[in-house]
Amino acid sequence: MPRCGDFGITALVAAEALRVEQLEKFFPPSLVGWRAMLHPFVPPTIPALRGISFEIAPGEIVALVGLNGAGKSTLLRILTTLLLPTRGRASVGGADVAREPARVRRQIGFHGGSDASFYARLTARENLQLFSELNNLGRSEADRRIAQVADLLNLGEILQRQVRTLSTGTVHRLGLARALLHQPSVLVLDEPTRSLDPLAAAEFRRFLRDEVVRRHGATLLFASHTLAEVEQLAGRVALLHRGLLLAFESPERLRADTASPTLEQAIEILVRRAESRS
Amino acid sequence: MKPARNVRKIMLLFFRDLAIARSYRAVFALELLETLFGVAAFYYLSRFIDTPDLQRLLPQGGSYFAFVLVGFAFFDYLNVAINALDRSLEEARSNGTLEYLLVTQTSLPVILAGSALYPFVLLSLRTVVYLGWGMLFFGFPAGQADWPGAVLVLAVSILAFAGLGVLSASYLLIFKRGNPVKWLFLGVAGLVSGVMYPVNVLPAPLQWIARLVPVTYSLEAMRAAVLGHASIAELWPSLRILLVFAAVLLPVSFAAFSWALRRTKITGTLTHF
Repeated sequence: MPRCGDFGITALVAAEALRVEQLEKFFPPSLVGWRAMLHPFVPPTIPALRGISFEIAPGEIVALVGLNGAGKSTLLRILTTLLLPTRGRASVGGADVAREPARVRRQIGFHGGSDASFYARLTARENLQLFSELNNLGRSEADRRIAQVADLLNLGEILQRQVRTLSTGTVHRLGLARALLHQPSVLVLDEPTRSLDPLAAAEFRRFLRDEVVRRHGATLLFASHTLAEVEQLAGRVALLHRGLLLAFESPERLRADTASPTLEQAIEILVRRAESRS
Repeated sequence: MKPARNVRKIMLLFFRDLAIARSYRAVFALELLETLFGVAAFYYLSRFIDTPDLQRLLPQGGSYFAFVLVGFAFFDYLNVAINALDRSLEEARSNGTLEYLLVTQTSLPVILAGSALYPFVLLSLRTVVYLGWGMLFFGFPAGQADWPGAVLVLAVSILAFAGLGVLSASYLLIFKRGNPVKWLFLGVAGLVSGVMYPVNVLPAPLQWIARLVPVTYSLEAMRAAVLGHASIAELWPSLRILLVFAAVLLPVSFAAFSWALRRTKITGTLTHF
Protein backbone atom coordinates (compact mmCIF):
# COMPACT_ATOMS: atom_id res chain seq x y z
CA MET A 1 0.00 0.00 0.00
CA PRO A 2 1.64 3.29 -1.01
CA ARG A 3 1.94 6.22 1.35
CA CYS A 4 1.65 9.89 0.56
CA GLY A 5 3.41 12.46 2.66
CA ASP A 6 2.56 16.13 2.94
CA PHE A 7 4.31 18.49 5.36
CA GLY A 8 5.19 15.65 7.68
CA ILE A 9 1.69 14.19 7.74
CA THR A 10 1.66 10.66 6.48
CA ALA A 11 -1.56 9.04 5.41
CA LEU A 12 -2.31 5.60 4.14
CA VAL A 13 -3.79 5.65 0.69
CA ALA A 14 -5.40 2.57 -0.79
CA ALA A 15 -4.04 1.65 -4.22
CA GLU A 16 -7.38 0.07 -5.03
CA ALA A 17 -10.87 1.47 -4.74
CA LEU A 18 -12.34 -1.93 -3.93
CA ARG A 19 -10.61 -5.04 -2.76
CA VAL A 20 -12.17 -8.43 -2.14
CA GLU A 21 -10.05 -11.24 -0.71
CA GLN A 22 -11.23 -14.83 -0.42
CA LEU A 23 -14.69 -13.51 0.39
CA GLU A 24 -17.24 -16.06 1.52
CA LYS A 25 -20.85 -15.59 2.49
CA PHE A 26 -23.14 -18.29 3.77
CA PHE A 27 -26.77 -17.87 4.82
CA PRO A 28 -28.69 -20.05 7.27
CA PRO A 29 -31.09 -22.50 5.59
CA SER A 30 -34.69 -21.33 5.60
CA LEU A 31 -36.90 -23.15 8.09
CA VAL A 32 -40.66 -23.51 8.21
CA GLY A 33 -43.23 -23.86 10.98
CA TRP A 34 -42.10 -23.40 14.57
CA ARG A 35 -38.50 -24.07 13.49
CA ALA A 36 -38.53 -20.69 11.73
CA MET A 37 -38.10 -19.20 15.23
CA LEU A 38 -34.65 -20.81 15.31
CA HIS A 39 -33.59 -19.30 11.95
CA PRO A 40 -31.46 -16.50 13.44
CA PHE A 41 -29.44 -19.03 15.44
CA VAL A 42 -28.98 -21.73 12.81
CA PRO A 43 -25.40 -21.95 11.51
CA PRO A 44 -25.13 -20.45 8.01
CA THR A 45 -24.56 -23.31 5.58
CA ILE A 46 -26.08 -22.12 2.28
CA PRO A 47 -23.28 -20.66 0.14
CA ALA A 48 -23.86 -17.37 -1.65
CA LEU A 49 -20.22 -16.40 -2.24
CA ARG A 50 -17.43 -18.98 -2.24
CA GLY A 51 -14.00 -17.47 -1.80
CA ILE A 52 -13.95 -14.75 -4.43
CA SER A 53 -11.08 -12.29 -4.81
CA PHE A 54 -10.56 -9.26 -7.04
CA GLU A 55 -9.38 -5.68 -6.98
CA ILE A 56 -10.80 -2.62 -8.68
CA ALA A 57 -8.59 0.39 -9.30
CA PRO A 58 -9.78 3.97 -8.70
CA GLY A 59 -11.64 5.31 -11.74
CA GLU A 60 -12.38 1.85 -13.11
CA ILE A 61 -15.81 0.68 -14.29
CA VAL A 62 -16.61 -2.93 -13.48
CA ALA A 63 -19.78 -4.80 -14.34
CA LEU A 64 -21.01 -7.65 -12.20
CA VAL A 65 -22.84 -10.21 -14.30
CA GLY A 66 -24.29 -13.64 -13.69
CA LEU A 67 -27.51 -15.59 -13.59
CA ASN A 68 -30.10 -14.96 -10.89
CA GLY A 69 -28.79 -16.30 -7.58
CA ALA A 70 -25.15 -15.98 -8.67
CA GLY A 71 -24.32 -13.82 -5.65
CA LYS A 72 -24.28 -10.37 -7.28
CA SER A 73 -26.64 -8.65 -4.84
CA THR A 74 -25.00 -10.40 -1.88
CA LEU A 75 -21.61 -9.04 -2.96
CA LEU A 76 -23.00 -5.51 -3.45
CA ARG A 77 -24.64 -5.65 -0.03
CA ILE A 78 -21.44 -6.75 1.65
CA LEU A 79 -19.56 -3.90 -0.01
CA THR A 80 -22.19 -1.42 1.17
CA THR A 81 -22.05 -2.77 4.78
CA LEU A 82 -25.61 -4.13 4.70
CA LEU A 83 -24.35 -7.69 5.12
CA LEU A 84 -21.39 -9.13 7.01
CA PRO A 85 -19.08 -11.58 5.26
CA THR A 86 -18.79 -15.08 6.73
CA ARG A 87 -15.08 -15.33 5.96
CA GLY A 88 -12.53 -13.35 3.99
CA ARG A 89 -12.20 -9.60 3.63
CA ALA A 90 -13.62 -6.78 1.59
CA SER A 91 -12.54 -3.16 1.68
CA VAL A 92 -13.59 0.10 0.09
CA GLY A 93 -10.84 2.72 -0.27
CA GLY A 94 -8.79 0.76 2.26
CA ALA A 95 -11.60 0.64 4.86
CA ASP A 96 -12.71 -2.83 5.92
CA VAL A 97 -16.45 -3.33 5.44
CA ALA A 98 -16.82 -5.36 8.64
CA ARG A 99 -14.52 -3.41 10.94
CA GLU A 100 -14.86 0.16 9.64
CA PRO A 101 -18.38 0.42 8.21
CA ALA A 102 -18.64 4.17 8.91
CA ARG A 103 -15.50 4.85 6.83
CA VAL A 104 -16.87 2.68 4.06
CA ARG A 105 -20.20 4.52 4.03
CA ARG A 106 -18.43 7.86 3.67
CA GLN A 107 -16.99 6.63 0.38
CA ILE A 108 -19.87 4.84 -1.28
CA GLY A 109 -23.02 5.80 -3.07
CA PHE A 110 -25.54 2.98 -3.44
CA HIS A 111 -28.65 2.40 -5.46
CA GLY A 112 -30.18 -1.03 -5.14
CA GLY A 113 -32.47 -0.79 -8.11
CA SER A 114 -35.63 -0.92 -6.02
CA ASP A 115 -38.42 1.42 -7.10
CA ALA A 116 -39.89 1.76 -3.62
CA SER A 117 -37.18 3.36 -1.56
CA PHE A 118 -38.47 6.85 -0.82
CA TYR A 119 -41.02 8.52 1.42
CA ALA A 120 -43.96 8.59 -0.95
CA ARG A 121 -45.76 11.48 0.79
CA LEU A 122 -42.71 13.76 0.68
CA THR A 123 -41.62 15.65 -2.41
CA ALA A 124 -38.61 14.52 -4.43
CA ARG A 125 -36.69 17.54 -3.10
CA GLU A 126 -37.60 16.78 0.53
CA ASN A 127 -36.42 13.19 0.07
CA LEU A 128 -33.12 14.26 -1.48
CA GLN A 129 -32.60 16.90 1.21
CA LEU A 130 -33.16 14.30 3.93
CA PHE A 131 -30.68 11.81 2.48
CA SER A 132 -28.11 14.55 1.73
CA GLU A 133 -28.16 15.78 5.27
CA LEU A 134 -28.02 12.25 6.67
CA ASN A 135 -24.85 12.03 4.57
CA ASN A 136 -23.43 15.03 6.40
CA LEU A 137 -24.02 17.67 3.73
CA GLY A 138 -25.06 21.02 5.18
CA ARG A 139 -28.37 22.52 4.01
CA SER A 140 -26.83 24.95 1.50
CA GLU A 141 -24.38 22.36 0.19
CA ALA A 142 -27.27 19.88 -0.10
CA ASP A 143 -29.35 22.38 -2.08
CA ARG A 144 -26.42 23.08 -4.41
CA ARG A 145 -25.81 19.36 -5.02
CA ILE A 146 -29.52 18.66 -5.51
CA ALA A 147 -29.65 21.36 -8.18
CA GLN A 148 -26.56 19.93 -9.91
CA VAL A 149 -27.67 16.30 -9.82
CA ALA A 150 -31.26 17.17 -10.76
CA ASP A 151 -29.90 19.04 -13.75
CA LEU A 152 -27.72 16.11 -14.83
CA LEU A 153 -30.52 13.57 -14.41
CA ASN A 154 -33.23 15.81 -15.80
CA LEU A 155 -35.17 15.89 -12.54
CA GLY A 156 -35.60 19.64 -12.19
CA GLU A 157 -39.26 19.60 -13.19
CA ILE A 158 -40.35 17.05 -10.64
CA LEU A 159 -38.49 18.15 -7.52
CA GLN A 160 -41.60 19.75 -6.01
CA ARG A 161 -43.82 16.75 -6.65
CA GLN A 162 -44.65 14.07 -4.10
CA VAL A 163 -42.78 10.87 -4.92
CA ARG A 164 -46.05 8.90 -5.00
CA THR A 165 -47.06 10.84 -8.11
CA LEU A 166 -43.88 10.01 -10.07
CA SER A 167 -43.43 7.31 -12.71
CA THR A 168 -41.30 4.25 -11.97
CA GLY A 169 -38.51 5.46 -14.24
CA THR A 170 -38.43 8.87 -12.57
CA VAL A 171 -38.29 7.32 -9.11
CA HIS A 172 -35.41 5.20 -10.35
CA ARG A 173 -33.55 8.30 -11.55
CA LEU A 174 -34.25 9.87 -8.18
CA GLY A 175 -32.57 6.85 -6.58
CA LEU A 176 -29.52 7.40 -8.73
CA ALA A 177 -29.53 11.08 -7.80
CA ARG A 178 -29.54 10.10 -4.13
CA ALA A 179 -26.54 7.83 -4.66
CA LEU A 180 -24.59 10.68 -6.27
CA LEU A 181 -25.46 13.52 -3.89
CA HIS A 182 -22.53 13.26 -1.49
CA GLN A 183 -20.03 12.79 -4.34
CA PRO A 184 -18.95 9.28 -3.37
CA SER A 185 -15.62 7.99 -4.63
CA VAL A 186 -17.17 4.56 -5.24
CA LEU A 187 -20.57 4.09 -6.79
CA VAL A 188 -22.30 0.74 -6.29
CA LEU A 189 -25.37 0.24 -8.45
CA ASP A 190 -27.68 -2.73 -8.82
CA GLU A 191 -29.17 -2.71 -12.32
CA PRO A 192 -28.79 1.04 -12.82
CA THR A 193 -30.94 1.39 -15.94
CA ARG A 194 -33.56 -1.27 -15.22
CA SER A 195 -36.60 1.00 -15.20
CA LEU A 196 -35.38 3.58 -17.68
CA ASP A 197 -36.62 3.91 -21.24
CA PRO A 198 -33.94 3.27 -23.93
CA LEU A 199 -33.16 6.95 -24.48
CA ALA A 200 -32.94 7.76 -20.80
CA ALA A 201 -30.83 4.63 -20.23
CA ALA A 202 -28.37 5.63 -22.95
CA GLU A 203 -28.16 9.14 -21.58
CA PHE A 204 -27.63 7.86 -18.08
CA ARG A 205 -24.86 5.52 -19.21
CA ARG A 206 -23.13 8.46 -20.88
CA PHE A 207 -23.53 10.46 -17.70
CA LEU A 208 -22.02 7.68 -15.59
CA ARG A 209 -19.06 7.21 -17.90
CA ASP A 210 -18.30 10.83 -18.82
CA GLU A 211 -19.30 12.76 -15.71
CA VAL A 212 -19.10 10.43 -12.76
CA VAL A 213 -16.11 8.34 -13.76
CA ARG A 214 -14.04 10.30 -16.31
CA ARG A 215 -14.61 13.80 -14.97
CA HIS A 216 -14.87 13.15 -11.24
CA GLY A 217 -12.69 10.03 -11.08
CA ALA A 218 -15.21 7.89 -9.22
CA THR A 219 -15.10 4.12 -9.36
CA LEU A 220 -18.18 2.32 -10.59
CA LEU A 221 -19.27 -1.22 -9.76
CA PHE A 222 -22.62 -2.14 -11.16
CA ALA A 223 -24.65 -5.33 -11.53
CA SER A 224 -26.55 -5.73 -14.75
CA HIS A 225 -28.38 -8.25 -16.88
CA THR A 226 -28.18 -5.96 -19.92
CA LEU A 227 -25.07 -7.11 -21.74
CA ALA A 228 -25.11 -4.26 -24.27
CA GLU A 229 -24.88 -1.92 -21.32
CA VAL A 230 -22.03 -3.94 -19.85
CA GLU A 231 -20.08 -3.78 -23.14
CA GLN A 232 -20.72 -0.09 -23.51
CA LEU A 233 -19.70 0.87 -19.98
CA ALA A 234 -17.45 -1.66 -18.33
CA GLY A 235 -13.69 -1.83 -18.57
CA ARG A 236 -13.85 -5.22 -16.89
CA VAL A 237 -16.54 -7.80 -16.26
CA ALA A 238 -16.81 -9.88 -13.08
CA LEU A 239 -18.71 -13.03 -13.97
CA LEU A 240 -20.24 -14.71 -10.93
CA HIS A 241 -21.80 -18.14 -11.02
CA ARG A 242 -23.14 -19.94 -7.95
CA GLY A 243 -20.98 -17.82 -5.68
CA LEU A 244 -17.77 -18.36 -7.65
CA LEU A 245 -15.92 -15.77 -9.70
CA LEU A 246 -15.57 -17.38 -13.12
CA ALA A 247 -13.88 -14.47 -14.86
CA PHE A 248 -12.63 -10.96 -14.22
CA GLU A 249 -11.58 -9.58 -17.57
CA SER A 250 -12.41 -6.94 -20.15
CA PRO A 251 -15.38 -7.78 -22.44
CA GLU A 252 -12.95 -8.00 -25.39
CA ARG A 253 -10.71 -10.44 -23.55
CA LEU A 254 -13.68 -12.58 -22.53
CA ARG A 255 -14.82 -12.77 -26.13
CA ALA A 256 -11.30 -13.53 -27.36
CA ASP A 257 -10.61 -16.20 -24.73
CA THR A 258 -13.80 -18.03 -25.58
CA ALA A 259 -13.61 -17.34 -29.33
CA SER A 260 -17.10 -15.85 -29.12
CA PRO A 261 -18.53 -13.12 -31.35
CA THR A 262 -20.65 -11.71 -28.51
CA LEU A 263 -20.33 -11.21 -24.78
CA GLU A 264 -23.53 -13.16 -24.28
CA GLN A 265 -22.01 -16.20 -25.95
CA ALA A 266 -18.76 -15.81 -24.03
CA ILE A 267 -20.64 -15.81 -20.75
CA GLU A 268 -22.69 -18.80 -21.83
CA ILE A 269 -19.53 -20.77 -22.65
CA LEU A 270 -17.87 -19.87 -19.37
CA VAL A 271 -20.96 -20.82 -17.36
CA ARG A 272 -21.30 -24.14 -19.24
CA ARG A 273 -17.63 -24.94 -18.59
CA ALA A 274 -18.13 -24.24 -14.89
CA GLU A 275 -21.26 -26.41 -14.85
CA SER A 276 -19.50 -29.32 -16.51
CA ARG A 277 -16.58 -29.08 -14.08
CA SER A 278 -18.93 -29.24 -11.12
CA MET B 1 -19.22 18.54 16.55
CA LYS B 2 -20.57 15.02 16.35
CA PRO B 3 -23.21 15.35 19.11
CA ALA B 4 -24.43 18.62 17.52
CA ARG B 5 -24.59 16.93 14.14
CA ASN B 6 -26.50 13.99 15.60
CA VAL B 7 -29.00 16.32 17.25
CA ARG B 8 -29.46 18.03 13.87
CA LYS B 9 -30.07 14.68 12.23
CA ILE B 10 -32.58 13.69 14.93
CA MET B 11 -34.45 16.94 14.27
CA LEU B 12 -34.27 16.29 10.54
CA LEU B 13 -35.97 12.93 11.01
CA PHE B 14 -38.54 14.57 13.28
CA PHE B 15 -39.37 17.09 10.55
CA ARG B 16 -39.57 14.24 8.02
CA ASP B 17 -42.29 12.61 10.15
CA LEU B 18 -44.00 15.93 10.75
CA ALA B 19 -44.11 16.62 7.00
CA ILE B 20 -45.57 13.16 6.37
CA ALA B 21 -48.16 13.68 9.13
CA ARG B 22 -49.08 17.10 7.72
CA SER B 23 -49.96 15.43 4.45
CA TYR B 24 -52.74 13.64 6.37
CA ARG B 25 -54.19 16.72 8.07
CA ALA B 26 -57.70 15.39 8.62
CA VAL B 27 -56.43 12.34 10.51
CA PHE B 28 -54.36 14.56 12.75
CA ALA B 29 -57.33 16.80 13.63
CA LEU B 30 -59.67 13.84 14.14
CA GLU B 31 -57.22 12.16 16.51
CA LEU B 32 -57.21 15.24 18.73
CA LEU B 33 -60.99 15.39 18.63
CA GLU B 34 -61.16 11.71 19.51
CA THR B 35 -59.47 12.43 22.85
CA LEU B 36 -62.55 14.43 23.84
CA PHE B 37 -64.67 11.29 23.67
CA GLY B 38 -62.13 9.39 25.78
CA VAL B 39 -62.12 12.11 28.45
CA ALA B 40 -65.93 12.31 28.47
CA ALA B 41 -66.18 8.51 28.89
CA PHE B 42 -63.83 8.59 31.90
CA TYR B 43 -65.81 11.46 33.40
CA TYR B 44 -69.15 9.64 33.21
CA LEU B 45 -67.59 6.40 34.42
CA SER B 46 -66.16 8.18 37.43
CA ARG B 47 -69.53 9.87 38.15
CA PHE B 48 -71.07 6.41 38.14
CA ILE B 49 -68.58 4.79 40.50
CA ASP B 50 -67.16 7.70 42.55
CA THR B 51 -67.96 7.55 46.27
CA PRO B 52 -66.31 9.16 49.32
CA ASP B 53 -65.02 5.68 50.28
CA LEU B 54 -63.37 5.22 46.89
CA GLN B 55 -61.83 8.71 47.06
CA ARG B 56 -60.29 7.85 50.43
CA LEU B 57 -58.52 4.87 48.78
CA LEU B 58 -56.88 7.08 46.19
CA PRO B 59 -53.31 8.17 47.11
CA GLN B 60 -53.99 11.89 46.61
CA GLY B 61 -57.67 11.75 47.44
CA GLY B 62 -59.86 13.80 45.09
CA SER B 63 -62.00 12.45 42.29
CA TYR B 64 -61.58 9.12 40.54
CA PHE B 65 -61.88 11.04 37.25
CA ALA B 66 -58.61 12.93 37.88
CA PHE B 67 -56.91 9.71 39.02
CA VAL B 68 -57.85 7.69 35.96
CA LEU B 69 -57.26 10.55 33.49
CA VAL B 70 -53.65 10.95 34.64
CA GLY B 71 -53.28 7.17 34.63
CA PHE B 72 -54.39 6.72 31.04
CA ALA B 73 -52.69 9.84 29.73
CA PHE B 74 -49.29 8.82 31.03
CA PHE B 75 -49.60 5.08 30.47
CA ASP B 76 -49.62 5.98 26.80
CA TYR B 77 -45.99 7.06 27.15
CA LEU B 78 -45.05 3.45 27.91
CA ASN B 79 -47.15 2.41 24.93
CA VAL B 80 -45.37 4.84 22.62
CA ALA B 81 -41.92 4.06 24.08
CA ILE B 82 -42.42 0.39 23.28
CA ASN B 83 -44.13 0.86 19.93
CA ALA B 84 -42.37 3.88 18.38
CA LEU B 85 -39.13 2.14 17.40
CA ASP B 86 -40.99 -0.95 16.20
CA ARG B 87 -43.22 1.16 13.98
CA SER B 88 -40.31 3.14 12.68
CA LEU B 89 -38.44 -0.05 11.74
CA GLU B 90 -41.53 -1.61 10.18
CA GLU B 91 -42.27 1.51 8.15
CA ALA B 92 -38.70 1.77 6.91
CA ARG B 93 -38.83 -1.89 5.88
CA SER B 94 -42.18 -1.59 4.17
CA ASN B 95 -41.46 1.63 2.26
CA GLY B 96 -38.02 0.33 1.26
CA THR B 97 -36.02 3.12 2.90
CA LEU B 98 -34.30 1.01 5.56
CA GLU B 99 -31.35 -0.08 3.38
CA TYR B 100 -30.85 3.48 2.13
CA LEU B 101 -30.97 4.93 5.63
CA LEU B 102 -28.42 2.36 6.75
CA VAL B 103 -25.92 3.22 4.02
CA THR B 104 -25.97 6.91 4.95
CA GLN B 105 -23.37 8.34 7.29
CA THR B 106 -25.85 8.24 10.16
CA SER B 107 -25.75 5.52 12.79
CA LEU B 108 -28.79 3.36 13.41
CA PRO B 109 -29.26 4.58 17.02
CA VAL B 110 -29.51 8.16 15.67
CA ILE B 111 -31.96 7.05 12.98
CA LEU B 112 -34.08 5.28 15.59
CA ALA B 113 -33.93 8.15 18.07
CA GLY B 114 -34.94 10.59 15.33
CA SER B 115 -37.77 8.34 14.22
CA ALA B 116 -39.08 7.94 17.78
CA LEU B 117 -39.13 11.67 18.48
CA TYR B 118 -42.25 12.54 16.51
CA PRO B 119 -44.50 9.96 18.23
CA PHE B 120 -43.40 11.34 21.63
CA VAL B 121 -44.03 14.93 20.62
CA LEU B 122 -47.41 13.98 19.17
CA LEU B 123 -48.29 12.08 22.34
CA SER B 124 -47.29 15.06 24.47
CA LEU B 125 -49.57 17.25 22.37
CA ARG B 126 -52.33 14.67 22.76
CA THR B 127 -51.77 14.59 26.52
CA VAL B 128 -52.03 18.37 26.75
CA VAL B 129 -55.26 18.27 24.72
CA TYR B 130 -56.50 15.36 26.83
CA LEU B 131 -55.92 17.20 30.09
CA GLY B 132 -57.19 20.41 28.48
CA TRP B 133 -60.55 18.82 27.64
CA GLY B 134 -60.70 17.48 31.22
CA MET B 135 -59.99 20.92 32.63
CA LEU B 136 -62.34 22.83 30.31
CA PHE B 137 -65.40 20.60 30.47
CA PHE B 138 -65.08 18.18 33.39
CA GLY B 139 -63.39 19.98 36.26
CA PHE B 140 -59.95 18.33 36.11
CA PRO B 141 -57.94 20.08 38.88
CA ALA B 142 -55.03 21.29 36.74
CA GLY B 143 -54.53 24.38 38.89
CA GLN B 144 -53.05 22.40 41.77
CA ALA B 145 -50.44 20.62 39.65
CA ASP B 146 -46.68 21.04 40.00
CA TRP B 147 -45.98 21.17 36.24
CA PRO B 148 -42.16 21.45 36.42
CA GLY B 149 -42.19 18.36 38.64
CA ALA B 150 -44.52 16.60 36.18
CA VAL B 151 -42.21 17.44 33.26
CA LEU B 152 -39.23 16.09 35.23
CA VAL B 153 -41.13 12.86 36.02
CA LEU B 154 -42.05 12.56 32.35
CA ALA B 155 -38.46 13.04 31.16
CA VAL B 156 -37.09 10.47 33.62
CA SER B 157 -39.93 8.07 32.78
CA ILE B 158 -39.17 8.29 29.06
CA LEU B 159 -35.53 7.44 29.83
CA ALA B 160 -36.67 4.45 31.88
CA PHE B 161 -39.14 3.26 29.22
CA ALA B 162 -36.79 3.84 26.26
CA GLY B 163 -34.80 0.74 27.10
CA LEU B 164 -37.97 -1.35 26.81
CA GLY B 165 -38.60 0.15 23.37
CA VAL B 166 -35.07 -0.70 22.25
CA LEU B 167 -35.48 -4.26 23.58
CA SER B 168 -38.74 -4.57 21.67
CA ALA B 169 -37.08 -3.30 18.45
CA SER B 170 -34.25 -5.81 18.97
CA TYR B 171 -36.79 -8.60 19.09
CA LEU B 172 -38.49 -7.27 15.96
CA LEU B 173 -35.19 -7.15 14.07
CA ILE B 174 -34.54 -10.81 14.77
CA PHE B 175 -37.99 -12.43 14.81
CA LYS B 176 -40.03 -9.93 12.70
CA ARG B 177 -43.44 -10.58 14.32
CA GLY B 178 -45.25 -11.70 17.50
CA ASN B 179 -43.33 -9.56 19.93
CA PRO B 180 -43.51 -11.00 23.49
CA VAL B 181 -41.57 -8.04 24.90
CA LYS B 182 -44.49 -5.83 23.95
CA TRP B 183 -47.05 -8.29 25.26
CA LEU B 184 -45.19 -8.80 28.52
CA PHE B 185 -44.59 -5.17 29.37
CA LEU B 186 -47.80 -3.62 28.14
CA GLY B 187 -50.00 -6.47 29.41
CA VAL B 188 -48.37 -6.82 32.82
CA ALA B 189 -47.93 -3.07 33.28
CA GLY B 190 -51.59 -2.45 32.35
CA LEU B 191 -52.66 -4.92 35.02
CA VAL B 192 -50.37 -4.07 37.93
CA SER B 193 -49.03 -0.53 37.54
CA GLY B 194 -52.10 1.30 38.80
CA VAL B 195 -53.52 2.85 35.64
CA MET B 196 -57.18 2.38 36.63
CA TYR B 197 -56.89 1.56 40.34
CA PRO B 198 -54.33 2.10 43.08
CA VAL B 199 -51.71 -0.63 43.35
CA ASN B 200 -52.68 -1.31 46.97
CA VAL B 201 -56.01 -2.88 45.94
CA LEU B 202 -54.10 -5.71 44.22
CA PRO B 203 -53.30 -9.02 45.95
CA ALA B 204 -49.84 -9.10 47.56
CA PRO B 205 -48.07 -11.12 44.77
CA LEU B 206 -49.30 -8.66 42.13
CA GLN B 207 -48.26 -5.73 44.30
CA TRP B 208 -44.80 -7.29 44.42
CA ILE B 209 -44.75 -7.61 40.62
CA ALA B 210 -45.92 -3.99 40.34
CA ARG B 211 -42.69 -2.93 42.11
CA LEU B 212 -40.70 -4.52 39.24
CA VAL B 213 -42.46 -2.41 36.60
CA PRO B 214 -41.10 1.12 35.96
CA VAL B 215 -44.49 2.52 34.97
CA THR B 216 -45.76 1.94 38.54
CA TYR B 217 -43.22 4.47 39.86
CA SER B 218 -43.85 6.75 36.94
CA LEU B 219 -47.62 6.87 37.58
CA GLU B 220 -47.14 7.31 41.33
CA ALA B 221 -44.78 10.21 40.78
CA MET B 222 -46.91 11.75 38.03
CA ARG B 223 -50.05 11.68 40.17
CA ALA B 224 -48.13 13.04 43.12
CA ALA B 225 -46.90 15.95 40.95
CA VAL B 226 -50.14 16.65 39.08
CA LEU B 227 -52.75 15.86 41.72
CA GLY B 228 -50.78 16.16 44.98
CA HIS B 229 -48.52 19.15 44.17
CA ALA B 230 -45.54 17.15 45.46
CA SER B 231 -42.13 18.85 45.62
CA ILE B 232 -39.07 17.46 43.82
CA ALA B 233 -37.84 16.12 47.19
CA GLU B 234 -41.12 14.23 47.61
CA LEU B 235 -40.86 12.90 44.07
CA TRP B 236 -37.24 11.87 44.49
CA PRO B 237 -37.80 8.27 45.79
CA SER B 238 -39.79 7.41 42.64
CA LEU B 239 -37.43 9.35 40.36
CA ARG B 240 -34.43 7.54 41.85
CA ILE B 241 -35.95 4.14 41.10
CA LEU B 242 -36.83 5.23 37.55
CA LEU B 243 -33.22 6.34 37.06
CA VAL B 244 -32.03 2.93 38.25
CA PHE B 245 -34.35 1.30 35.69
CA ALA B 246 -32.89 3.58 33.00
CA ALA B 247 -29.31 2.88 34.10
CA VAL B 248 -29.89 -0.87 33.86
CA LEU B 249 -32.24 -1.09 30.87
CA LEU B 250 -30.53 1.33 28.48
CA PRO B 251 -27.11 -0.37 28.30
CA VAL B 252 -28.69 -3.85 28.30
CA SER B 253 -31.10 -2.90 25.53
CA PHE B 254 -28.40 -1.21 23.41
CA ALA B 255 -26.22 -4.32 23.75
CA ALA B 256 -29.21 -6.46 22.71
CA PHE B 257 -29.90 -4.18 19.76
CA SER B 258 -26.27 -4.22 18.56
CA TRP B 259 -26.29 -8.01 18.78
CA ALA B 260 -29.62 -8.22 16.90
CA LEU B 261 -28.44 -5.86 14.16
CA ARG B 262 -25.21 -7.80 13.70
CA ARG B 263 -27.19 -11.04 13.61
CA THR B 264 -29.46 -9.75 10.84
CA LYS B 265 -26.41 -8.72 8.82
CA ILE B 266 -25.12 -12.28 9.20
CA THR B 267 -28.42 -13.97 8.32
CA GLY B 268 -29.30 -11.45 5.60
CA THR B 269 -32.70 -10.74 7.12
CA LEU B 270 -32.31 -7.04 7.88
CA THR B 271 -34.95 -5.97 5.42
CA HIS B 272 -37.19 -9.04 5.69
CA PHE B 273 -40.72 -8.68 7.04
